[in-house]
Amino acid sequence: MSDIETQAIEKSGHEPDLPQGDLAYRMAHPAPNLLPGEVRAHPDPWQYVVVAIVLAVITAVEIAVSYMEGDIPDGLIVVLLLAMMVVKFFLVASWFMHLRTDQPIFKRLFIVGAIAAPLLYLIVLATLHGVLAD
Amino acid sequence: MTAIEQSSDTGELVPAGAGHDAGHDPHATHSGVANAKLAMWLFLASDCLFFGAFIATYLLYRDRPGQTGPTPQDVYNIPFTSVTSFILLMSSLTMVLALAAVQRGDYRRFRVWIMATALFGATFIGGQIFEFTEFTREGLNVDTNLFGSSFFILTGIHGTHVLIGIVWLVALWGLSMQSRISQGDSERVEIAGLYWHFVDVVWIVIFTVIYLLPK
Repeated sequence: MSDIETQAIEKSGHEPDLPQGDLAYRMAHPAPNLLPGEVRAHPDPWQYVVVAIVLAVITAVEIAVSYMEGDIPDGLIVVLLLAMMVVKFFLVASWFMHLRTDQPIFKRLFIVGAIAAPLLYLIVLATLHGVLAD
Repeated sequence: MTAIEQSSDTGELVPAGAGHDAGHDPHATHSGVANAKLAMWLFLASDCLFFGAFIATYLLYRDRPGQTGPTPQDVYNIPFTSVTSFILLMSSLTMVLALAAVQRGDYRRFRVWIMATALFGATFIGGQIFEFTEFTREGLNVDTNLFGSSFFILTGIHGTHVLIGIVWLVALWGLSMQSRISQGDSERVEIAGLYWHFVDVVWIVIFTVIYLLPK
């Protein structure tokens, strides 16, 4: 380490007072190259490419499963398609939208919206489906 | 080796990241969270509920008895929609590569990836216009039946989101051409990226629930 770097670290006054794994410590002492709001560094471009390949494969399987209508029970198709949809949703949200590496508050906010929406509208569907059928 | 940067307020050399402390960083907030990013996440959380309303409406109305005119089975072209969905999915990859490029100060690659993202988005919109035109030709309009109304409104609102995203991306590309986007502005690109990825995840849901699930 050069003298100028040592001098700069002394000036910054960053003495670790919490264990390095602690979230509060990592928030107060961001690693070099982190943007405000990040807890860990973003993935590297090759990791993004791998995630995109996984997404493409899941999409291909989804389409193949949708063509199995009549060959396998509809209930199984619904379960498989919804499971793959959820996996794709969380892959994009956690890797591309950086919910894995950003501050937990973003994850909490988004999860509230992403869970509240289907929950709310399932209730609406269950209620209105019966009303409209009458 | 520890990275060194020049403090924006004092001009002193400090370790990179040290300037994020409250009271020194001009972008520091009381919550310790970037305000613009927090606002975008709040918007996205509320937009989940917005799209949820239209998806629920579609599910409620698509197979109401007594409807005249084309049904989903008559008009959907799954192979075509699969291709446009795949293009939108891959635009998320180019978006995140654009962000990675601007974060490491590689502005040439940033412009390439951001423009590729906008072009993928434009291709998706072109596919949607083609699909709408085909449906109209087959007799399905927004006022033909409940299925038509709920389908066109849901996919039309999503398409409008994509269009807004394209304008945003092209604006970022234009700013970069004028050297007005720097490594320090990467948060602006990240916020645009959050919006773009959200548009993609919403389509992941629409594609499965509207097009692929058994009718």
